[in-house]
Amino acid sequence: MLPFLLVSGLTTGALYALVAIGLVLVYRSTTHINFAHGELFMVGGFLAYTGVVILGWPYVPSLILAVIGTFILGIVSDRAIFRPLIHAPGLSMVLATVGFSFLLKGIGRLLWGGRGEFTSMPPIVDPSPIFLAGLPILPQQLVVLAAAVACMLALAAFFRGTTAGKSMQATAESTRASYLVGIRVERVYMYTWGAGAAIAAVAGCFMAPLTLLSPDIGFNLLLKAFAATILGGLGSMGGAVVGGFAVGIIESLAGGYVYTAFQDVSAFIVIIAVLVLRPQGLFGTRPAREA
Amino acid sequence: MRLPLPRRAVLAAAVIGFAVLPPAGANPYFIYIANLGLVYVLLAIGLNMLIGYAGQLAFANAALFGIGAYATGLLRVDHGLPFFLAFPAGVAVATAIGVVIALPALRLRGLYLALASIAFAQFCLWAFVHWERVTYGAGGVRLPRLSFAPLPVSVEVGIYYLTLGLVVLMSWLAWNMLRSRVGRALVALRESEVAASALAIDLTRYKAYAFGVSAMFAGVAGGLFSALLGIVTPETFDLYQVVSHFAMVVVGGIGSLWGAIIGAALLVGLQEVLRAFRELQEIAFGALILFTVLFMPSGLIAFIKRFASGWDEPLRRTEGDR
Repeated sequence: MLPFLLVSGLTTGALYALVAIGLVLVYRSTTHINFAHGELFMVGGFLAYTGVVILGWPYVPSLILAVIGTFILGIVSDRAIFRPLIHAPGLSMVLATVGFSFLLKGIGRLLWGGRGEFTSMPPIVDPSPIFLAGLPILPQQLVVLAAAVACMLALAAFFRGTTAGKSMQATAESTRASYLVGIRVERVYMYTWGAGAAIAAVAGCFMAPLTLLSPDIGFNLLLKAFAATILGGLGSMGGAVVGGFAVGIIESLAGGYVYTAFQDVSAFIVIIAVLVLRPQGLFGTRPAREA
Repeated sequence: MRLPLPRRAVLAAAVIGFAVLPPAGANPYFIYIANLGLVYVLLAIGLNMLIGYAGQLAFANAALFGIGAYATGLLRVDHGLPFFLAFPAGVAVATAIGVVIALPALRLRGLYLALASIAFAQFCLWAFVHWERVTYGAGGVRLPRLSFAPLPVSVEVGIYYLTLGLVVLMSWLAWNMLRSRVGRALVALRESEVAASALAIDLTRYKAYAFGVSAMFAGVAGGLFSALLGIVTPETFDLYQVVSHFAMVVVGGIGSLWGAIIGAALLVGLQEVLRAFRELQEIAFGALILFTVLFMPSGLIAFIKRFASGWDEPLRRTEGDR
């Protein structure tokens, strides 16, 4: 039972890590937490669903549709909502992202909600399990794992190797200094919101065939991603990845060994426990920043 | 131009207007909506004290509302207590839990507090559903019908007047508390914790105070809500509830008592109009929050203050100083 739980924990953990990376990306650059990130994930999943099921496209163009669609959505949200609030206090940004999340959820329900409680999406690859060392593994899980790892590596390379990635880190470190050295902070923020949304969409596309889609999935996933980022230390990209996998495995083990319903609640307990006992997270070195 | 719209007269008219609804022959549905609006006024005032005055961004209000409702309901069902004992006991439970969660929350600020409290809210929702031995699970608890036996009023009208009386009493308490030393201390710690402690304001004590009072308002609202509906179900206290409290406070005016009242009345009305369309409720609430944050960060109350005299409040942030 243990290997089986570990495999399923790793798969969901990879998705949590991917969602958490999007959160951290936005936080690293703008120092705001995007409470609408889960809804962007939901919109991404439903866009892919629109491509695959409604329009009958193959999977890859649908994925591209979802990523481009949410990227544009992220940029539009920046221009319409977040840029006007660029000098507003943190509270306004929290409220704005919460309001935006509700707006997206309502629109999602309006567009795609009339299809029953949950909408299922056909699998990307052959759904029958393959056996690796006697373990039944769904090929879908391997795809998710591979996609998540590829995204993480690409982002790490982006942050280390490109000017745009370095600009993003610079704006997070100090907005004022970034202005001084000639970084267009507003533009960096705009692409950050877009990129964060696109990453959420990638996660949404890969999650949709594994679970089911509903306009309400966003918030629960957002909480899992919060748990991952907090466990890893808010603002640490590597921490978010490790945190995501850890939350996935903790959930899976809690559900398997303790009590099935514990699977849902373990993420909340992780958040509360980490914040109370070690607010800087497992890998966070800087003190808990006030926002 | 400023309209002569004295606050006392408006308040008196509002209270009298609410008070004469039942004898004036308003239909039961309308009385129910008015009652619901009054319950949300309590919630919005409690949340506004915590966010708007004390500056603590906590999302636990809906959970404490649920705890108040469940505690009142379960004491009646499981222990056979009459409503008038179960209700204060339920309020006490909600207040106590509010103070207890304040203790770990005292170490957290800003976003960290928001995240911890939202996790707490979801944890409570989970407990309402899964702690079946106590909460009766997802189906909820059906409550016995109330009775105001010696008084010559129907149950609905009785609950309505009880709610109205408590709203008047508790708004008055809140108004006086905010004008006192406590209110000034809360605002000081909102503006700067360092400066507040330099002024010998005991941060721990006043933060716990803010959480406790806010939880008490949520508990009172919860007890009344359980009596009003006659059933307590877990999904009532979900994310939608959390965000609707926020929307009320934000749209009315953060850090304004009157704003909380106006926001609650307005949004309960809007919610009833859109009752059948959940997606439109969400779009409307989300859009209203965004519109307010972007275009009138001080909320609707700012308009009233601009066009009517005599609505200034103690400790209110002035225009343009957000």
